[in-house]
Amino acid sequence: MKGRFLSLLLPPTAWLVAFLVVPTMVLAGSAFSADGMRALAHAGTWVLFWRSFWIAVVSTAVCLAASYPVAYFIAGCSTKWRNLLLFLVVLPFWTNLLVRTYALKFCLDPIGWSDTSAVIFAIVQNFLPFMILPLYASIEKLPPRLLEASQDLGASPARTFWKVTVPLTMPGIAAGSILVFIPVLGVFALPEFINERTVLIGSQINLYYGQGDTGAGSALTLVLMIFTILLTWIYSRFRKSEGLV
Amino acid sequence: MRKLLGGFTGIVLVALYAPIVVMIVFSFNESKYSVKWTGFTLDWYRMLAHDDKIHKDLWNTLKISSVSTVLATLLGTMAAMAARNTFRGKRLYQTLVALPVMVPDIVLGMSLYALFRFLGIPRSLVTAVIAHTTFNLAYVAVVVSARLQGLDRSIELAAQDLGAPPLWAFWKVTLPAILPGVVSGAVLAFTLSFDDFVITYFTTGPGNGTLPMRIYSLVRFAVTPEINALSTVILAASLVLIAAALKFSRVPVAGGGR
Repeated sequence: MKGRFLSLLLPPTAWLVAFLVVPTMVLAGSAFSADGMRALAHAGTWVLFWRSFWIAVVSTAVCLAASYPVAYFIAGCSTKWRNLLLFLVVLPFWTNLLVRTYALKFCLDPIGWSDTSAVIFAIVQNFLPFMILPLYASIEKLPPRLLEASQDLGASPARTFWKVTVPLTMPGIAAGSILVFIPVLGVFALPEFINERTVLIGSQINLYYGQGDTGAGSALTLVLMIFTILLTWIYSRFRKSEGLV
Repeated sequence: MRKLLGGFTGIVLVALYAPIVVMIVFSFNESKYSVKWTGFTLDWYRMLAHDDKIHKDLWNTLKISSVSTVLATLLGTMAAMAARNTFRGKRLYQTLVALPVMVPDIVLGMSLYALFRFLGIPRSLVTAVIAHTTFNLAYVAVVVSARLQGLDRSIELAAQDLGAPPLWAFWKVTLPAILPGVVSGAVLAFTLSFDDFVITYFTTGPGNGTLPMRIYSLVRFAVTPEINALSTVILAASLVLIAAALKFSRVPVAGGGR
């Protein structure tokens, strides 16, 4: 039994150590170099991190605001419609992100919309399913009794929404937000498609990579990685984890 | 109120799909420079069909996706099976397996690039396969793990008690039960691999580009109807994969993706 367990455990673990843990160590090593430190000491780097952070915050907020009504609507549909709508919402994200972004660029360029707000729109459009799904999952679990109770006790629909629905769907809000926020923080290629000048941290890493400045690229990547792991860790403190994720 | 919500949902769906539809329609447009409709043509598809560079890219994409899917399905299924046991350091192990799903793509791409550079390994299709296997492993493990949670372990133990060697018990009892999970994990892995741009960009060798990489370099140069055609082809390929996933495993589409 023990032998069998180890023969299952060792190959994937060895793979992940070799191609995930060791690369991270090499990355860290390369980040703590003269080039890496110079990049981190550069004020412009932190301006970029700050901008990426804000774009991610705004995108996540817009995503949440746009997704909540959709998820709420889908949860209230009949089973047939529910499946169809969920399928339609999820379908795009099984397709290529670059292709979707290109399609958007193809439509936005002629109308001349290509500033930072267009970048945010593109991000929201691309990451919407990540928000709608977890929201739907938690709205669907809402016990109708609680909503009725709140209304029977005289709460207005708005009050019921803010005092009952929103707190009870917090797990979905948190899950969706983290699923959107983290990839958006390190987003790469998408902003360049819509607007060349909206340089975010991902583009800057690519710039260093293109210049062969591995030290600087690694330093920025390492900071991004530490930040996302920290966020995921904080998030996991607030929810009970089962299984592998 | 429901009407309002329904209308809003409609607008969101239009925002999701309209650009794709417009792009597909214009892949059949005659004019090369104008965004005005001038007439129907299949020329751009013909050009694609005769473009040797595109053929090479497609071939590279398929090589990377298929090899990494096989490796990731094997390793990911093992990882999920191992995670059923309780052992010391299990939480660390779970974090390790899920890590490639958690961090942004660029982090994994850049780390592997740093590794290959450090070791002096020239980048090639092999390094791209290694990179794809690493992130796909995580997705397969998550999907298979979900399937394993619904599996009654006593059946497997019963098979072993009745004298089946562990491998035989796995082949005859466990595998058939988790097969839908394994298949949907594999299809997910193939799809993600086929569509990946960022990680390939950092880990593949010169001359070993993939279709998404071709799109990236073309779009940065200029917007042309050929890109529309190429994008439509890639889109169609993804749709075939989704259909396969739905047919073979009856998984809810909500199962994965990124």
